[in-house]
Amino acid sequence: MRALIAAAAGLAAALALILTVTAVGAPSGTTSPKPLLTTVPTHP
Amino acid sequence: MRRTASLVLLAFAVFFTALSPLLRWYAFPRLAKIPPGQYQDMVLEARPATLIDYGTMKARTVPKVTIVQTLKGDVAASDRIERTAGRDVVVWDALSYVAGPDGKMVSEIPERYIFDAHSQDPVHATGEMVDGDPVHRTGIEYKWPFLTEKRDYTYFDAQTRTSAPIHYKGTRTFRGLEVYYFEQTIPWTRVPLPKKMPVKGITPKAVEKMGTTRWYSTKRMFWVEPVTGAPVNGEEIHREELRGGDLLPGGGKVTAFAGDVRMRADYVDSTVALVTSQRTLVLLLTSYLPGGFLTLGAALLALSLHLEARGRRPATPETEAEPALNPV
Repeated sequence: MRALIAAAAGLAAALALILTVTAVGAPSGTTSPKPLLTTVPTHP
Repeated sequence: MRRTASLVLLAFAVFFTALSPLLRWYAFPRLAKIPPGQYQDMVLEARPATLIDYGTMKARTVPKVTIVQTLKGDVAASDRIERTAGRDVVVWDALSYVAGPDGKMVSEIPERYIFDAHSQDPVHATGEMVDGDPVHRTGIEYKWPFLTEKRDYTYFDAQTRTSAPIHYKGTRTFRGLEVYYFEQTIPWTRVPLPKKMPVKGITPKAVEKMGTTRWYSTKRMFWVEPVTGAPVNGEEIHREELRGGDLLPGGGKVTAFAGDVRMRADYVDSTVALVTSQRTLVLLLTSYLPGGFLTLGAALLALSLHLEARGRRPATPETEAEPALNPV
């Protein structure tokens, strides 16, 4: 019974971690202030 | 004590074992996406190239024609579209600026490309366009999906405003990276004149009025890094002609632009470096971490079982005899 509880705790922690990470996701950031280029850049 | 330790190890074993498939099949498809605020530029060159001289309406060979491609993510527009689309969306404003050998504009074609940030599937929303013409894209453009497959894809061609298959032609090695090679051929097709013409006073409407039409054909080649879906090299054998009308009487035609367009070497280097670092991040979520967690889970489970077995082992004769040596 104690083994079952330990396994369930491990599974619940994994689920909680993954759900939290995916819910938070990556920040969307902001639009770059740089313009669309109409001159040839000298380097990348 | 040993039994408590084995239970803790069992909990961690289940934690890491469960984390492995959850990371690969639940988290990865949700976390791997194109950032909406991405900004990227690319320079391609045709050396030499053929360009039309609008003064004489004759084609001439020039040492170089440069194409500057910029992609800029519009975060506010993607947030707005996401609210109705109900999924992560990227809005790219793109500009293909073609410069002649003197650096002057030959043509410039703006685009707005809206697509799903995870799958690269096009998303149809107001504003989707090529050179001001509303379009309804199917297939991909500029980038392949993460974990690209060895199969044909549908690729959108901005000049014809249509989509056609781009064929998988095999696996190659490019700068030490395994890449998938794709090829698409667009046969001679009548295409609209660019809204912005290189000569002052000449408008596309005026050219159309004279009955002159623009035709285009290309062979497009991409070397795509399959983990990220990012092309690390591109080449296009591009042909454009003006045909007929008052400008070219008697059904004549003239090459407006022709050349073998290739990515500039310094941009190939920077693209390979960028893709290599992004590839590691994707592999971390798809291979390294899931594999590592699974191994760790199995090791912890084995250790937990070992401790449990030792905890259950009957007491040794020495310890049994001990009480007899200490009479009350």
